[in-house]
Amino acid sequence: MSALVRMRLAGFLRTGRALAPVLAGLLTLGVLYGGGPARPAEAYGVSAVVLFPVLAWQAKILLDVEPDVQRRLARVLVGPTRDQAAGLLAAMVAGVGTVLVALGFPWLVGAVTMPGPGDLPLATVLALGLWAHLLALLPAVAWGALASRALTRTAGYGVAVLAVGVVGTLALGLRGSVAPWLVPPVLATARALAGSLPAGTALLLSGWALAWAGVALTGYAWWRRTRP
Amino acid sequence: MRLENVRLRYGRGGPWVLRGVTARLDPGEVAVALGRNGAGKSTLLQLCAGVLRPVRGRVVDRPRHVGWVPERFPADQPFTVTRYLTAMGRVAGLGRADADRAVDRWTDRLGLIPFRGVRLPDLSKGTAQKVGLAQAMLRTPGLLVLDEPWEGLDSAARGLVPELIDEVLADGGAVLVSDHRGETVRLPGARHWTVADGLVTEETTTGDPAVAVAVVEVAVPAARVAGTVARLRADGHHVLRVREPTVPPASAAASPPPAPAAASPPPVPPSAGEPAGGPARSGRTGEVAR
Repeated sequence: MSALVRMRLAGFLRTGRALAPVLAGLLTLGVLYGGGPARPAEAYGVSAVVLFPVLAWQAKILLDVEPDVQRRLARVLVGPTRDQAAGLLAAMVAGVGTVLVALGFPWLVGAVTMPGPGDLPLATVLALGLWAHLLALLPAVAWGALASRALTRTAGYGVAVLAVGVVGTLALGLRGSVAPWLVPPVLATARALAGSLPAGTALLLSGWALAWAGVALTGYAWWRRTRP
Repeated sequence: MRLENVRLRYGRGGPWVLRGVTARLDPGEVAVALGRNGAGKSTLLQLCAGVLRPVRGRVVDRPRHVGWVPERFPADQPFTVTRYLTAMGRVAGLGRADADRAVDRWTDRLGLIPFRGVRLPDLSKGTAQKVGLAQAMLRTPGLLVLDEPWEGLDSAARGLVPELIDEVLADGGAVLVSDHRGETVRLPGARHWTVADGLVTEETTTGDPAVAVAVVEVAVPAARVAGTVARLRADGHHVLRVREPTVPPASAAASPPPAPAAASPPPVPPSAGEPAGGPARSGRTGEVAR
């Protein structure tokens, strides 16, 4: 399966289509960090929120860059389960690359303040930032997969599914939402990072994100049974 | 491999493309799927290859390694021929050294050596189709599924397809081919599956106009007609008719008379080995359909 992951990543990176989400991500981070220094943990929470649509879009592009017939050729060689897993894994790897850029970006442009006395240590801040972004990445990849051409068939439906997912995640994730559990906890994580983060809350948010992504990816696998 | 009462449609509420197909293909066998456009040949092939899964029924005993050659090779990919085939070899489970050896072998066999560094989108249709053939053969398949494999190939390359099929059969594999060009005359021992109305029926090669046949006119001395006919029938050929012997005029004895018109069934594409000048005649002439 690793050979198929490498092949799909190579196909993604060798086309110019990989550039669009990277530029969009850098632009988003530039706008986010352009307002002056911020507390790093809180900034990372907001960064995960604004990057959520970019990560979902990037996953969709990666899954769509391969021609449909080539995806079916791979399915014949490795079977449907590995074919799907390899696509999702390739999207995750590409997403981790974007997340690492997002973690380093504010330090490069001086948009966050170094931790002082009484603040969380730098390693803890970076770990919290990584955690927040990974909690956004997993559902973002799931949304990207649900919006991929293999399921939606047409570009219009694909964009619509992606837009509904992203807007819904942000709208239903607001404080006081009537059904926050319908969407991944991207905004809830950002709110938690703005204050003190109890361990129980961190575990709850992690479990919530994993469960949501698990349900979404199960749906993806179920639909893909008849949509090779 | 067996298809057991397989039913398939592409969408809930859509028409059934295949309705209760039951078929069997054993190792060492080659079957040709025939049928009009839209009959479901490609769907049947993709079911057998494992691309599609039946809505009802099941496909059992599919070999572990399957090679599938789609009707149109997906050339819109940012790889060179070598890089693509090596990657596909690795995806198929070959180690790096084995993948490199397999790529060397099949690029050589299929005349792709000059194109190894060429990007897939820059290939001609026929050359891209050869890459499609190569990727299916990198790891010797237990089942080779070829969807219109002759499409886009030049005459020299078309002759390679039966060779590849023979190699798979010799290794104990099975082959399933679709064809609408009458190229299956190149596969004389093939079983013929006709796809129509969502069903697959196995046809004998005799008397069915839907099955591509070649008519070969042979000329034998009048005294050997009975023996020749018996031998041809024993070999499984269908003797359409035996014409009355003609006695050439003495002046024409050194040069045969012009060829008579072909008899039924209707004309079909000649096989690759047929001489351009038509068969020689003397004495009594018979027509044989394969």
